[in-house]
Amino acid sequence: MKKTAGLIPCLLASMAGFAQNRFPKPDFESGYQYPQYVYDVPSEMLWTTVDIFALAVLMGVVAWASLRRRTRLPITIVSIISIAYFGFFRKGCICSIGSVQNVAVALTDSSYAISIPILIFFVLPLVFALLFGRVFCAGVCPFGALQELVNVRNFRIPTALSKVLGMLPWIYLVLALLFAITHSAFIICRFDPFVGIFRLGGTVSMIVFGAILLILAIFTGRPFCRFLCPYGAILSLFSRVAVWNVKIVKKQCINCDLCRHACYVDAIRPPYNNKVKESRSAGVRRILLYLILLPLIMTIAALTLRTGSDLLAGVHKRVQLHEKYHLEGEQAIEVETFIGQGGKIEELTAETAEIQRQFKQYSTVAGALIGLVIGITLINLSLKRSRKNYEIDDANCVSCGRCFAYCPQNNKSSENTQSTK
Amino acid sequence: MQTKENTNRHIARRKFLRTCGGIVAGGVIVSLSGVLLKKTVSHDLQTFWQIDPAKCVWCGRCETECVLPVSAVKCMHANKVCGYCDLCGGYYRPNVKDLNTAAENLMCPTGAILRKFVEEPYFEYTIDEELCTGCAKCAKGCNSFGNGSLYMQVNQDLCTNCNECSIEKVCPSGAITRVAQANAYDFKDN
Repeated sequence: MKKTAGLIPCLLASMAGFAQNRFPKPDFESGYQYPQYVYDVPSEMLWTTVDIFALAVLMGVVAWASLRRRTRLPITIVSIISIAYFGFFRKGCICSIGSVQNVAVALTDSSYAISIPILIFFVLPLVFALLFGRVFCAGVCPFGALQELVNVRNFRIPTALSKVLGMLPWIYLVLALLFAITHSAFIICRFDPFVGIFRLGGTVSMIVFGAILLILAIFTGRPFCRFLCPYGAILSLFSRVAVWNVKIVKKQCINCDLCRHACYVDAIRPPYNNKVKESRSAGVRRILLYLILLPLIMTIAALTLRTGSDLLAGVHKRVQLHEKYHLEGEQAIEVETFIGQGGKIEELTAETAEIQRQFKQYSTVAGALIGLVIGITLINLSLKRSRKNYEIDDANCVSCGRCFAYCPQNNKSSENTQSTK
Repeated sequence: MQTKENTNRHIARRKFLRTCGGIVAGGVIVSLSGVLLKKTVSHDLQTFWQIDPAKCVWCGRCETECVLPVSAVKCMHANKVCGYCDLCGGYYRPNVKDLNTAAENLMCPTGAILRKFVEEPYFEYTIDEELCTGCAKCAKGCNSFGNGSLYMQVNQDLCTNCNECSIEKVCPSGAITRVAQANAYDFKDN
């Protein structure tokens, strides 16, 4: 072993011409034939096509079940299929949640080419969300499906806590975009909680994180989807303005509150009578004041993240290399190889400075966006709107279809309704 | 009456805003996919992670960093580069006392290198990929003392093609990159 250790540095120094022919090619006299190895490149054509087809069909089924049939069984079946196919068979890659990062890189880096399947996985659920609501989340996304199927109890998270946690997906999204466009890391992929389950193995932290979320998902609805998923955050924007949305009853609501209890993602708002009387002009003035205060929050957040930008830049591989050089000198294998490949420390230092400068800019913008998220959440809390009926919060509804079966008006056959009238 | 008219107006306004939002969202989808479609790789549906053997320094991280329980990185053997030596730097540990196939003398921790006598003085080496864990010990030995015919490659049948390769993130030499379908393998004997 020692001999090897001594030899390696010399070899690293002369990487380019690493000795190919220390020993001549043997002349075989016994008519020896070189063995032939065949390595096929797996044809992704077939499975990618199946992926896209499955994605579209499953989302179609959920849309049909949640909007037309208004029943939950098909959605549960879709969940099982999705876990089996997208989860265990396709091992969770490629997924729509992660595709956000590829799209971000493709939009900002002219040399980066995005592959068509990733593009489709990004766009198709958005299109469906704009038409039918978050049908992708319902059961087509294996993560949603997994949490959907393990859920048995529905402990309600206090509103204050859920509002605070509700900001996390946006903050996660902003940070993911920041790290993606700076070519540092795909943090959504790195901190993917459930992919370890689908691959039946993974790093300890991944498994622990996934297990904690899955245990939480037993007792409360979809912790990952509600409080972490960055793609869900994007989908919620599109679902908010969807053409067709989930409706609980077609007939008259009898305000029985059953659907709200059935909903495990807190997407059904009960009737609310706003007792605070405020004239319209006063309300508008109040909102305007908040909107003026919004840039203040954004500035504070932007400056906060800007001060921490060097810390964020530490995620970048080049910056890490530079740090390694200062901590361990040329002993570190990374530094050794870097120099072996003809890299110069001065260039590395310059490059690191450039990356840190870039991070300073981007993290300022990211901080402002996080401030915007916090500000909008606060403004939203101050908007109190009277409701006469139970309303579905289209942004949070994941089309899981739990509420349909609970609605007594839905279950009545049409003749019964006639007679009661 | 007044309030009813008011609520009706509110509902109409909300509907209008919602429609506007919908149109904006639709526009975003269309323009985004338009921009992105221009940036797609037209010839390849998918790209692959692969190791450039000329850059690889056999650090051994492929074995431990891959997300799979057993790494998708395997040792491959370019027979046409191999010297068929008896004293193989990839097969035996550097300073063994006796040249026999006892486990303590062998480089490969899982016994994945198979050795077969061909003719005096040549021995053929093959890799049992089922046993190989991708630790790169043999490749390091072969490249240090021999022709460098043992080298590391990502087995594309095993690789799950993660969006972010966790080995790539820690590869000290930047040997792992995304390559096109045509270069999915970087064979040394081609």
